[in-house]
Amino acid sequence: MTDIAAPNAEEQAPLEGVIKGEVLRMYQEVAEHPEGEFHFFHGRQAAEMFGYERDWLDRAPSSAVASFAGVGNPHLRSRLQPGEVVLDLGSGAGLDSIIAAWQVGPTGRVIGVDLNPTMCRKAETNAQTSGARMECHEGRMEDIPLPDASVDVVISNGVINLSFRKRRVVRELFRVLKPGGRLSITDIVSAKQLSQSIVNDAKLWAS
Amino acid sequence: MFALFEDAGFKRVRSTIVPGFAFRKASTRDSAEAYGVKAVLFTAQR
Repeated sequence: MTDIAAPNAEEQAPLEGVIKGEVLRMYQEVAEHPEGEFHFFHGRQAAEMFGYERDWLDRAPSSAVASFAGVGNPHLRSRLQPGEVVLDLGSGAGLDSIIAAWQVGPTGRVIGVDLNPTMCRKAETNAQTSGARMECHEGRMEDIPLPDASVDVVISNGVINLSFRKRRVVRELFRVLKPGGRLSITDIVSAKQLSQSIVNDAKLWAS
Repeated sequence: MFALFEDAGFKRVRSTIVPGFAFRKASTRDSAEAYGVKAVLFTAQR
């Protein structure tokens, strides 16, 4: 399967800026108005579709569940252990971070990174409400605001496809993981190169 | 994306299609089908 990005995507800086704005707008909309209609399934319906345990969804704050906008379930293969340091790339409203925090326990650490500072605060509030320990750093996935070799596991859910610079993002994941560290990521891929009209459509890219 | 993980130096890269993934809106779903868009779970080790 191929990357969704166009081959010359990294040369399209103006479009990248437009798409970044649309991504921010779209996911803030999901967070603030989860009752709305979007291109993708979201909330509890989506989480159940991807096999999230009902116990998790019952335990987590309803605002974290309602704003869930993932494309799969990275917890199926994350094999998180107590005490591990986890990076949740694109942590959104915090559902995946909260579930990770329950698994790594009080000796572990969950760090969310999100482009949107409002979402970061929302995720931290949701985590506190659920008794989970999570910190969120505002930042871009192309420049993850963490030191080299500082995390044991990276989880992410439907985020990397939003970047114009996927190769850079993947290199960043390699950089922040400790040797022997692992990742469990769900994301969207395309078997065929997308047409330029789709690539140029910020709303479709963001969804 | 599989190749991106390998190129970056990751080992044991694995991918599994996420069953049940679909776009909600029919128009988006049709376009996604035409382009072979799927959700995939990737695992890998540094």
